[in-house]
Amino acid sequence: MGIKLYREPGLENPIMFVGWPGIGNIGIMAVNILRDILKAEELGEIESWDFFYPKKVSIRDGLLENLEFPSNTFYYQRLEKKDVLFFIGEEQPTEGGRMYASGEKAYRMANLVVDMGLKLGCQRIYTSGACVSLTHHQMRPRVCAVVSSENLIEEVKQYPNTILISETGGRGEGEGTITGLNGLLLAVAKKRGLESMCLMGEIPDWLSGATFPYPKASRSVLEVFAEILGIEMDLNFLKKMEGQVEEIIEGFYVKFPPKTKEEYDQRKSVAPVEPGTITVQAKIYVDERFKGGGGEGGEKPS
Amino acid sequence: MLMNVLKEAVGKVEKNPVEIHKVPQLQSPSLIVGWQTQDIGKLGLGVIDFLIEKLGGKLIAEINPLGFFNFTGVRFKDDLVQVPESKFWACEKDNLLILKSDEPGFEHYHFLNSILDFAEDQCGAKELYTLNGALSYVAHTHPCKVLTVFNKPEIKARLRDYELEDMNWEGPPAISSYLLWIAKRRGIPGVSLWPEIPFYLAAREDPQAIKLTLSFLNMRFNLGLNLERFDQEIEHQNAKIAQRRKEDAEIDKALSALERGQRLEEEEQLKLAREIYELLGK
Repeated sequence: MGIKLYREPGLENPIMFVGWPGIGNIGIMAVNILRDILKAEELGEIESWDFFYPKKVSIRDGLLENLEFPSNTFYYQRLEKKDVLFFIGEEQPTEGGRMYASGEKAYRMANLVVDMGLKLGCQRIYTSGACVSLTHHQMRPRVCAVVSSENLIEEVKQYPNTILISETGGRGEGEGTITGLNGLLLAVAKKRGLESMCLMGEIPDWLSGATFPYPKASRSVLEVFAEILGIEMDLNFLKKMEGQVEEIIEGFYVKFPPKTKEEYDQRKSVAPVEPGTITVQAKIYVDERFKGGGGEGGEKPS
Repeated sequence: MLMNVLKEAVGKVEKNPVEIHKVPQLQSPSLIVGWQTQDIGKLGLGVIDFLIEKLGGKLIAEINPLGFFNFTGVRFKDDLVQVPESKFWACEKDNLLILKSDEPGFEHYHFLNSILDFAEDQCGAKELYTLNGALSYVAHTHPCKVLTVFNKPEIKARLRDYELEDMNWEGPPAISSYLLWIAKRRGIPGVSLWPEIPFYLAAREDPQAIKLTLSFLNMRFNLGLNLERFDQEIEHQNAKIAQRRKEDAEIDKALSALERGQRLEEEEQLKLAREIYELLGK
C-alpha cells in the first residue's frame, strides 16, 4: 500500500501543484488545465484501494476483468525555469460519510503526497481551492492566499490580483479554516519542512453549494500559476465554459427578489480589500438544487 | 487543525477485527458469503440460513463492527432494532465456511481483507462463493438463470458443467465484486452467483432463486440437501400471484408482457412491484 512510481524523472528542486475536487472545482480545474498546458507526463500514483470504494467494475463473459478506483496521479514536466510536479486526486478520501476529506485517511493521503514531494526534492507545494466570500458573481474573482511561513507573504503580494486571506474582510479575528485536503496538505507539508501555499479563487457565498464549476475563479488562479512559473498562458479557451456558467448564474440572479438583489448588488460597490465586519447580509434566493452542499471544502468566513 | 482532523476519526478499526470463538476443524474449505444488506429476494439470507440450519453450522467467529458500520444511531426494521453483524459459521461435516454479514459502510478494503485473512489464515479456505440476487425483467413463471462472475479462468473452467450463465456488466461494483477482486489479488479463486430475481419479487423472498442457488451448491459440494420445502413455497407463491392475475386485469397484462419478453413503463413496473409486495405480505 502506498506510492507506485513509474519512472525516475530526475527533477531539480521541483515545485508541486496539487488539486482535489472542492467547491466549484476551482482548484482542481486550475491544476488540471495547467497540467494540460504544460503537457505533463504521468509519473506515478497513490494506490487507491485503501482510500476509496471502487467506482467501476468490468465483467466480460463472466470474468471479472478490472476494478476501477478514483485516480490519484502524479505528473511531471521539466520547464526552462523550473521543474514541476503535479498531483491530482479524483476524490477526497472521507470517513463517516462526509463530503470532503476528513480523518486518518485524509491525513495519510496528505502524507503520501508529501512523501513523493520529498523523494523528488520538492521544496514547495501549492494547493488550490475556493475562497467563499461576499463577492459578486459579476466581479473578477480575486485569489486569496494562505501561506506556511511569513517569508512567503512578500512573494504573494507580488502576484497579480492576489490578496492574503486576512485582507478579504469579514473573518472575525483573522482566523478561519481551509477544509478538505487542499487545506490539510498545507499543514502536513509545513510539519514536514516544506513550504506550502494555498491559492484560492473567490466564489460568491451563494454559489458555494452549486453543482457546476466556477471557471472564472479557476482562471484567476491560473493567472497566478503563470506568474509563479514565469510563463505566458493563453486562457481564451476558457471563455466558452465561463459563458455557459455565467448564463446559468444569471438565470438565478434575475429571479432574486428585488430587495435581495439590491443588497447583493451593493457588494459590487464595497471596497473589495478592506477588512472589517460583513455589512451586506443578503438573503440568498437559492434554487432547491443548491441546498445540501457547500458546508465543506473551501475557506469560509468564520 | 491537525488535531481536530484526527479527532474526527471516529470508531477506529482494530488491526485484527475478527473475534474468534472457536477454531474450526475444516480442511481447505470453501467460503460462502451471503449479504443481508440490500438482499434482493432475500437470497443471501435465505440460502445462508438454510445451509446453517441443515448442515448444523456452528458460530465460530465474528467481525467487530466498530469502524466498519455507522454507530451514530440505530437502525430499526419492522419495529425491531437492527445490529450490524458479520458472523462466520463452520459446517465441519461438509467442510464449508459460511459468512453471513451486513455490508459495511466504511473501510471496505480493510473489512473484506479481514474476511479473507480469517478464511485463509485460520481456516485454510481455498475457494470463495458469494451470493447476490440480480434484479431481472424475467417473469416468475419463466425459468431463471444463475448469472456468474469468476475471478480466474481456472475456476470458470472447473465449473463449466454446471448450468451457469456468464455475466457481462460495466458499472458500479457490488461488494461481492470487490471481494472477488481482492480474492483474486490474493490468489484465491472465486465466483459470484447472481440468480435472476423478477424485480417485483425483490423486496420479498424469492423461493425460486433461493432453490436455484441451493441446487447449485448442493451439487457442487454434494450436500444431500432436500429442497422440497422450496417447491411448496414456490407453488404457494405462484398460486397467490395467479389468483391476483385473475382478479386484476392490469396485473395480468403486466405479467403477460414480461412473459413475452417486453419491457414495462416505469409506472407499470411500480404498480406491479407494489401490488405483488402487498400480496405476498398477506
